[in-house]
Amino acid sequence: MACLLAWIYALAGCLLGTLATAAPPAGVGDSKTIDFNRDIRPVLSDHCFACHGPDEKKRFAGVRLDTKEGALKVVTPGDAAKSRLFARITHADPARRMPPPAAGKALSQEQIERIKRWIDAGAEYKGHWAYEPPQRPPLPPVQNKRWPRNPIDYFVLARLEREGLSPSPEADRITLLRRLSLDLTGLPPTPAEIDAFLRDKSPDAYEKQVDRLLASPHYGERMAMQWLDLARYADTHGFHIDSHRDMWVWRDWVIRAFNQNMPFDRFTIEQLAGDLLPNASLEQRIASGFNRNHMINYEGGAIPEEYHVEYVADRVETTSTVWMAATMGCARCHDHKYDPFHQAEYYKLFAFFNNVPEKGLDGRDGNAEPFLRLPDEGQKQRLEQLTARLAALEATLAANVVEPEFQKWEKERLKTIDFGGAPQLRQGLVAHFELDGGFTDSSGRYVHGVVLRGEPALVQTPIGRAMEFPTQSHVRLGDMGLRLEEGFTVAAWLMQGHHEPQTVLRQGGVFELWYDASEPLPHLRRGAHLHMETPGRHWRTRERLVQRDHYHIALQVQGGSVLLRVNGEPVPLVELAPEMKTGVRGPLEIGQAEHATPRHGFRGRLADLRIYARALSEGEVRILAFHHRIAHLLAIPTEKRTKEQRETLRDYFLSHEAPEPLRAAYLERKQLQKAKAALEDEIPTTMVMAELEKPRDTHILGRGDYRNKGEKVTPDVPAVLPPLPPGEPRNRLTLARWLVSGQHPLTARVTVNRYWQNYFGLGLVKSSENFGSQGDPPTHPELLDWLATEFVASGWDVKAMQRLIVTSATYRQSSKARPELLERDPENRLLARMSRFRLPAEMVRDQALAVSGLLNRQIGGRSVFPYQPAGIWEEIARGEIFSAQVYKQSSGRDLYRRSMYWFWKRTAPPPSLVTFDAPDREKCVARRSVTNTPLQALVLMNDPTFVEAARVLAERVLDEAGSDPRLRVRHAFRLVTGRNPQPRELRLLETLASKQQAYYASDSEAAAGLLQVGESRPSSRYKPEELAAWTNVASVILNLDEAVSKE
Amino acid sequence: MVHLNEQQLRITRRHFFGRGAQGIGLAALASLFEAHGASPGSGPPHHAASAKRVIFLHQSGGPSQLDLFDYKPVLKKYQGTELPASVRMGQRITGMTSGQSSLPVAASIFRFERRGQSGLWMSELLPYTAKIADDICVIKTVHTEAINHDPAITFIQSGSQQPGRPSMGAWVSYGLGSENQDLPAFVVLISQQNSLNADQPLFSRLWGSGFLPSQYQGVRLRSGKDPVLYLENPPGISKKVRREMLDTLSALNQIHAESFQDPEIETRIAQYEMAYRMQTSVPELTDLSKEPESTFQLYGEDARKPGTYAANCLLARRLVERGVRFVQLYHKGWDQHNDLPRDLALQCKGTDQATAALVLDLKQRGLLKDTLVIWGGEFGRTVYCQGKLTETNYGRDHHPRNFVMWLAGGGVKPGTTIGETDDYSYNIVSDPVHVHDIQATVLHCLGIDHTKLTYKFQGRWFRLTDVEGQVVTKALL
Repeated sequence: MACLLAWIYALAGCLLGTLATAAPPAGVGDSKTIDFNRDIRPVLSDHCFACHGPDEKKRFAGVRLDTKEGALKVVTPGDAAKSRLFARITHADPARRMPPPAAGKALSQEQIERIKRWIDAGAEYKGHWAYEPPQRPPLPPVQNKRWPRNPIDYFVLARLEREGLSPSPEADRITLLRRLSLDLTGLPPTPAEIDAFLRDKSPDAYEKQVDRLLASPHYGERMAMQWLDLARYADTHGFHIDSHRDMWVWRDWVIRAFNQNMPFDRFTIEQLAGDLLPNASLEQRIASGFNRNHMINYEGGAIPEEYHVEYVADRVETTSTVWMAATMGCARCHDHKYDPFHQAEYYKLFAFFNNVPEKGLDGRDGNAEPFLRLPDEGQKQRLEQLTARLAALEATLAANVVEPEFQKWEKERLKTIDFGGAPQLRQGLVAHFELDGGFTDSSGRYVHGVVLRGEPALVQTPIGRAMEFPTQSHVRLGDMGLRLEEGFTVAAWLMQGHHEPQTVLRQGGVFELWYDASEPLPHLRRGAHLHMETPGRHWRTRERLVQRDHYHIALQVQGGSVLLRVNGEPVPLVELAPEMKTGVRGPLEIGQAEHATPRHGFRGRLADLRIYARALSEGEVRILAFHHRIAHLLAIPTEKRTKEQRETLRDYFLSHEAPEPLRAAYLERKQLQKAKAALEDEIPTTMVMAELEKPRDTHILGRGDYRNKGEKVTPDVPAVLPPLPPGEPRNRLTLARWLVSGQHPLTARVTVNRYWQNYFGLGLVKSSENFGSQGDPPTHPELLDWLATEFVASGWDVKAMQRLIVTSATYRQSSKARPELLERDPENRLLARMSRFRLPAEMVRDQALAVSGLLNRQIGGRSVFPYQPAGIWEEIARGEIFSAQVYKQSSGRDLYRRSMYWFWKRTAPPPSLVTFDAPDREKCVARRSVTNTPLQALVLMNDPTFVEAARVLAERVLDEAGSDPRLRVRHAFRLVTGRNPQPRELRLLETLASKQQAYYASDSEAAAGLLQVGESRPSSRYKPEELAAWTNVASVILNLDEAVSKE
Repeated sequence: MVHLNEQQLRITRRHFFGRGAQGIGLAALASLFEAHGASPGSGPPHHAASAKRVIFLHQSGGPSQLDLFDYKPVLKKYQGTELPASVRMGQRITGMTSGQSSLPVAASIFRFERRGQSGLWMSELLPYTAKIADDICVIKTVHTEAINHDPAITFIQSGSQQPGRPSMGAWVSYGLGSENQDLPAFVVLISQQNSLNADQPLFSRLWGSGFLPSQYQGVRLRSGKDPVLYLENPPGISKKVRREMLDTLSALNQIHAESFQDPEIETRIAQYEMAYRMQTSVPELTDLSKEPESTFQLYGEDARKPGTYAANCLLARRLVERGVRFVQLYHKGWDQHNDLPRDLALQCKGTDQATAALVLDLKQRGLLKDTLVIWGGEFGRTVYCQGKLTETNYGRDHHPRNFVMWLAGGGVKPGTTIGETDDYSYNIVSDPVHVHDIQATVLHCLGIDHTKLTYKFQGRWFRLTDVEGQVVTKALL
């Protein structure tokens, strides 16, 4: 029998919260009397409402069973035999029997019997419980007066006594403190905390622990964990490109709000409508980002309106789930099939959220509009200084000063400019390929280049005419007689045209100039390093050159060394290991022969290529870097210059030839603008709600499709719920206040039910996301209502509610399951014991980090990148220029932050957390599944996070417990589980330690291999075989079912 | 129906337990690896199944039906002329071509030929698929509603354009479980070495479990040393050391189970044993070294390179051989907005041989008769040119109104063509097949009535085909 029960329970465990429970679970129901809402409504809802319910368009035969009036038309109270309803569900002709066979919803004999009893007993019809305001019930009488510690216990005990059950004894103190610490902070207690609790003999020792933990800053983190699932928090946009966004400032707000014990009504109002509060503070506006956490699209070619509708729909559905556990989404396309929500009412709610000044397609580079910039004090000051100084420079550079000077210069300069370049630049000129139409050397030798591959073409560019190489190209220019020992200079304009490595120029056996694979840079740009090689030497630029920008480069080679000037300025180089073979001497080439190297061709642009058999002076290079382009531009008649060309000329004039103080002011402005842009990049932003001045029109959308606009609607709430206060503006603020007015039947119930779920695994209403007709009825309706009214009466005091629950005798019970309870109540709905279940994903990892001492307890801030198997993002990401496509693992202390700070990429969420049932955060989730799978075993055994944590835990144990293996086992066991091992457990682990140590002593390589896992370095205080053996002991302890469970 | 309630569950479990030999060890399987038809509920099969397994070769990006299967010689006549409004009929078009001043018709540059006994039209780009012309059923009239990748691929994989629903593989794994106790029921393969514009992302939701319990999500089988995430022991932990650790762990968990009576502990013990077995069974599965030379002649040399489309096709065969229920393969790079003649040719060159090889291989091994193979993308491509139309070059935008998918094996009528499109391959003339119809048909072949495989979430009984879907009986034997 135990095995059979094991079966049921195992399955119940893996399907936790997802089984259909139209009827109360067998053995749990209080079956003496028929209760309409508990026993009858779920049957009618599931089997009848789809055709005889709220949806007017699909209502058959005019019969509706979802209202009392409707039901009484087909039911004769007190007499089932006379009731049309009963006649039809028991009709002899299967074709006429309801529900019709085609619906596939046949009633069971038991259900029919139940309906008969209900009618015979008078057919009492009640409105759906969740839409009736909660009434504060009196405490029920109980026989065992000593057990209850607070009102919760009266409700639980009364039910148990009715069922003939007794509660379980209180758990031992160690179990209690571990349970409490995990529940209130998400972290296990330390041995010192346990010892302090064990020593404390005062009658309120437990309550003191509760208060200590509620005051911990980690309490806010723990409470935020659940809120992030509800708020569908993530660090990327989710659709298609799935690039990054920044909402961690909002996440910090949530943690802070919990830690400050912000009352739930304020918590609600600020998140739904903080922006609309009178004189909204910055914090309140940040809070309003709650409803910007939905997915946002930037797929090329998508239709903005289609996605705008999705964003608003997501807000409606998330807000309805979080505050009302209402499945409003069902009414998007048609009237709700089960709950009294009309399609028009869906769009009336929609209208509240439809006025955000946002774009349908956005989020190309970080946050989507609207968002706030949030400089800190230092940044604010620097920004102000920069802005002030820039304004002053602006005045100096006023157009009425600059323009006349510029026009004068344009005219005069045209007369004096030398189109051939300065005369000294002809000295030592070996070859000059202007690349403005062909490959002819115009230096006087008239060498002709030969195109071996590719289709180069002449193009107009901001730097004048240039040669474009659109595909892999290879051009042989001929031997220039360049020699390393004599030195030479190669100068040209260059634009990188591709993200793969490309050879630019080379001469076999002499030098090669190439760029490497480009990497994403800020602002959706890419860039690559430029490399220079000579036989035996190899350098690259320290910084990347931006792809598709034009640079003037001048490479000077003298003996073994090189000097590179970019746009006239020398740039820092990094020397690398040489790659170039002292190859055969060859001709000068653009690109190189196919298959010669992986970077075989050239793609991009080149212009004004000059080869000198000498070094050039700084001044000479500057002339080249500017002259070519400026001469070209000046030659274009003024009226024919493009705006960009005029800008280039003006820039040149102001940077180089303008009279002082114009030139100095201009250069300073340029530098400060750059500094300001860099500063603005550093300043965090966060998405917020805002309201259009003129609201958008909202229409009912046929089948929910953005193209099918129907009747226009204005903001309002569903009629089944209390009305909005008259006279208040119909906006989000009024809606938010309505939710927390204290009169709303759902908000408080839904919220306390989710708190309950945190502690007991299941809510009093199991379907915590659905309080509607198809949801599960509450197991303890009076308790739910008592808690809801208490919550409101306390002024929505969140901490007080947690305190109330965890100080109850119900919570303090042992989770050891008595055999009769396992059979009678496998899911623990009756609460004759405490529930025992696996920790949420985040806690599994956080605990391992905490007990080893690796955990970085920093609260809040930007998301981090812990260990993750290579390629998880890259293999499915869009790649190219967008952000959040390549996983760059953190290093140092960021590797050990709590899991809630793990960068959450929606299309590829953190794999080890997902294995432990973390959702992908695409949609609002009120309840996670709790599975038990082999993949979880693989994570705990092999994920470097857990292997490293085991080693560091072993080091800690060896450091703290001395050399006696028994003391070591005891300490390790205690650090993880809180308790001392039993003798049998101790023996098993001790044996493992000695066997493994013998093994690793014989295989030092294996020991060294194990110890090097993770970024932290292993301690050298212990012999490798000893540390390796204890690492495995620690790993076994971290893998215990007890370690990953809350007992 | 697969409506679960605890009562049914008990009966099913008891029934199964009566047959089970391993007791709690099998209970563990229920979590990830449903064993031998012990699916949740007493649901499927609803009728005799013609297929036991599915391989879905998803060609991500939208392969051009006009250049592969939907032969329209008359378009040569219309080359360069404007797509008539009478043909377009107000179809919305993507932001990529809605700004074009003209929508000129681009005929396919490729030669078409009749192939096989069935005389199926196919372009010269598919010389190997030509050899299986008599094994496949080509549906020329599949249609969808989405016009962009994200919603379209989400639609074909989950029956809904918006995220949140379980993927097809998750539904099948939920409904049928696996035939193999050492491997997951639902495995995902993604080709990695792709010569072309691989700038179409995939999303883990495509093989996610949506609102189904997370054990039904697809398990990715990756190339490299950890084919399943975290499979390999860390350095320094040999198989023997791991065994020793597991024996200790199991004994400790057993002690705890005695005092807590929590069946979840027994389950966890079993899951560790399963993980240990996977450490052997998965590398054995992915090790292609024992495949004979003839295999690589069939699939092509690429099949030796882990992560290629060819290697993944070969792995797909090895997976179904071992009883894996649903193999979902993804191959990116079919999004030819420009340079179609060059890029589509390359794309076909990289996939055609292995695709055909898989079908032939399954056939030779007698597996094709109960393995359903599906080939296709998320939408088709427009007859009008995106970008500049020249004699030798064109591009095509996304087209939702008709596209080609083919099915083979598993009860599908071989050598058939279903549906006709108009002269422009722009509208369906006969036999429309909606994405939900394809999904209904796949489930049908597996013995599942698509209207009966349901799961209650947020109060509603959801199914893969939402409220639509008709089995494409013309495609079936």
